[in-house]
Amino acid sequence: MVSKTNSTAGAGPSRRDVIRGLGAAGLGAATFGVAPRTWAQARAPVNLSFWTFENPQQRPWLHKRIRLFMEQNPAVKVDFQFFPFGDLGKKLSVGFATGTAPDGFVSQDWFMPTWLAKDLLAPLDVQRLGYSSVQSFSDDFTQAFVAGATKDGKVYGYPLWFYGFANYINTNQFKEVGLDPDKDSPKTWAELGEVAKRLTVKSGERFTRQGFKFAMHAAQWTMIQFNPILIQHGAKWFDDAGKCTINSEAGVKAMTVRASIARTYGAEDPADSIATAPLPQMDWLRERASMFFCHPIPPAAIASQNQKMLTEGYYRPVQYPGVEPGKGFSTTYGFNLVVNARAPKEKQEVLHDLYKFMMSDLADCWKDTAPFTLARKSGWVDSPEVRQFPHVDEIIKAKDQGVYLPRTVVYNELADAVHRGVQRIMLNRADIKATLDEIAAEVDRATEASKRG
Amino acid sequence: MTDSVGDGGLAARGYSRPAGRPFWRLHFQRRITLWGIAFVAPALLFFAVFKFGPMIWAIELSFTSYDMVSAPTFVGLENYRKLAGDPVFLASLTNTLVYIAGSTVLITVVSLGLAMAINSQVPGARYCMMAMFLTNLMPIIAVCLVWRFLLHPFGLITQLLAPFGVDRVDWLTDSRTAMPAIIAVTTWRFAPYFMVVFLAGLLAIPRDYYEAAEIDGATARHRFVHVTLPLLMPTIFFVVVISALLSARIFLMPYIMTGGGPGNATRVLSMLIYETGFSYLKMGEAAAISVVLFAIMLVFTMGQMRLFMRGERVHG
Repeated sequence: MVSKTNSTAGAGPSRRDVIRGLGAAGLGAATFGVAPRTWAQARAPVNLSFWTFENPQQRPWLHKRIRLFMEQNPAVKVDFQFFPFGDLGKKLSVGFATGTAPDGFVSQDWFMPTWLAKDLLAPLDVQRLGYSSVQSFSDDFTQAFVAGATKDGKVYGYPLWFYGFANYINTNQFKEVGLDPDKDSPKTWAELGEVAKRLTVKSGERFTRQGFKFAMHAAQWTMIQFNPILIQHGAKWFDDAGKCTINSEAGVKAMTVRASIARTYGAEDPADSIATAPLPQMDWLRERASMFFCHPIPPAAIASQNQKMLTEGYYRPVQYPGVEPGKGFSTTYGFNLVVNARAPKEKQEVLHDLYKFMMSDLADCWKDTAPFTLARKSGWVDSPEVRQFPHVDEIIKAKDQGVYLPRTVVYNELADAVHRGVQRIMLNRADIKATLDEIAAEVDRATEASKRG
Repeated sequence: MTDSVGDGGLAARGYSRPAGRPFWRLHFQRRITLWGIAFVAPALLFFAVFKFGPMIWAIELSFTSYDMVSAPTFVGLENYRKLAGDPVFLASLTNTLVYIAGSTVLITVVSLGLAMAINSQVPGARYCMMAMFLTNLMPIIAVCLVWRFLLHPFGLITQLLAPFGVDRVDWLTDSRTAMPAIIAVTTWRFAPYFMVVFLAGLLAIPRDYYEAAEIDGATARHRFVHVTLPLLMPTIFFVVVISALLSARIFLMPYIMTGGGPGNATRVLSMLIYETGFSYLKMGEAAAISVVLFAIMLVFTMGQMRLFMRGERVHG
């Protein structure tokens, strides 16, 4: 070995030297090559995907804020997708199943239990969102709403919009039949029937104008409109053991009230609404219905169907009727910005920054999406633009007084069963108690199945 | 190289490759066979991956509880047991069978009637055929939306019935009329397509048969019963099987026109599969429903094929 080394010493570098040299060169190259790459990775573009539902006011505002964020953060690219309101939940389910769910999305608050039960949402770092603690975060929003977005002391949803339904009345039509819109707007369910009856105009069997109209086209609308009637009458969706109690005596009474506008007062045609245009409030906007329970209606939506109504302002939202006068309340619901638990950590962090940025200018949000009220208590209510919005106090009151939709993992099954039941009751004059029994049995089967897993 | 014993007799038929002969110098028939396999292989692979693969996976899923998020867990026959006691499933199954029976019978009868009318060479028949076939070119969503308005309680269809004293019919919102209305729209949509199939079958019947029957004194009814129907039997079987399969998979029409309502009146199994899988996140149960639907159609198709083969033997 020695002789070999000696023999090669004078002939230049040995093979070992060459290997050493190559190793050193490689190490050097690696050191100097990797260091800039690590730096580049930190600055590398982050591609996020973000899904929401279609709403002519809300979706463009979300998109605008995301575009602004991307302008300020050129390394961040957001793939913005939106879907019809009723389809978003299904698209997300398929996305989670196939590994193509977005990194962040807007979740309806009634879906939060479903996502949380399956651990699909990442807890939010409230400090990164600008809050000192979970408590200070929760305090910034309506307690009952934020409660639906928290679990085991962790926050999973950043509340965005949050609003209540109101009874939209056509004040011209009130005056036309000798009613004072200020004094005679219905305060109780019986008054709703009586007033609706007076407002109704028929030509033979056909309604020229329906005094009042319940939406019949989609399960979610059925739930939102019926939920306060059920609760006002002292009924509950579920008892403490999780058994569906819609078929209780109070539930039957509530459904009887729901059906009375058509059955007792003859003030609406439930079959007619099935074939009307996709906008559930279309009949009210086109003045074919005098009253309609609806979420806050943006001026642009009114203008698109009835410019005269908007210009002359002969409409107003009033509170839901109650069992007792002045004690009416509606359904309130909202939307959360959430983070996919399966998104990479880096993306989750950037999403926090994005959400913080999106929610940093609530006045801008109101300007673009009024009168959709926001979940945050402060930062927008006292703004002049909010204060001068027509009937804003009624809109805010509806939000503050409202009750929530049932928070359950079988929400979709419940909504579909109730919707089908309401169809049978209203369209086929099915017996109310028997139908509610069927709904309760169907929901209980779904609950049992969900418990089994 | 070829083992004459193990080659399935190819050697005896001259298909074998003699020892040492390269591939490109194989016998012509053998090369044709191999090329045939090569051409068919991509299609077979496509079917295996995109048709039979998912089918087998669906059957496998039907024995699991799968919420599309967590891994599926084996539950044996639990999904099928649940279906047997589920009134919504049983109502949807009944609706599906009613829909298949109603639309298959109507499509077959109407399309045969239309084909015979066109075949009778009345003036303008060809233009009528073209006009009727246009219904197949319209997107199904447009068809459904248009029919929703036509079938409004006070829509055009009701107005056409006004002279008969009908002033209101809740076509799509009354459980007694909703399913017949959807069957009627399905027939309107698909009958012209099958009319063309029947027309091809009618044109293939030699005129000589009718002339011979006429000379023998057969009336038009007799010619239809004893000449047209027997010779058209293969076409009828084809139309029945294909329209039944189409009907079994119908989804968009009830989904758009009634949403499955009122109540469960028009909820068919394909809608229930969609709701159960994507809305309730019970993919195992949805798979079980799809297996039941598949089994029904398999039994129906096999029954039809047996009838068809028997008919072929009788008439062949």
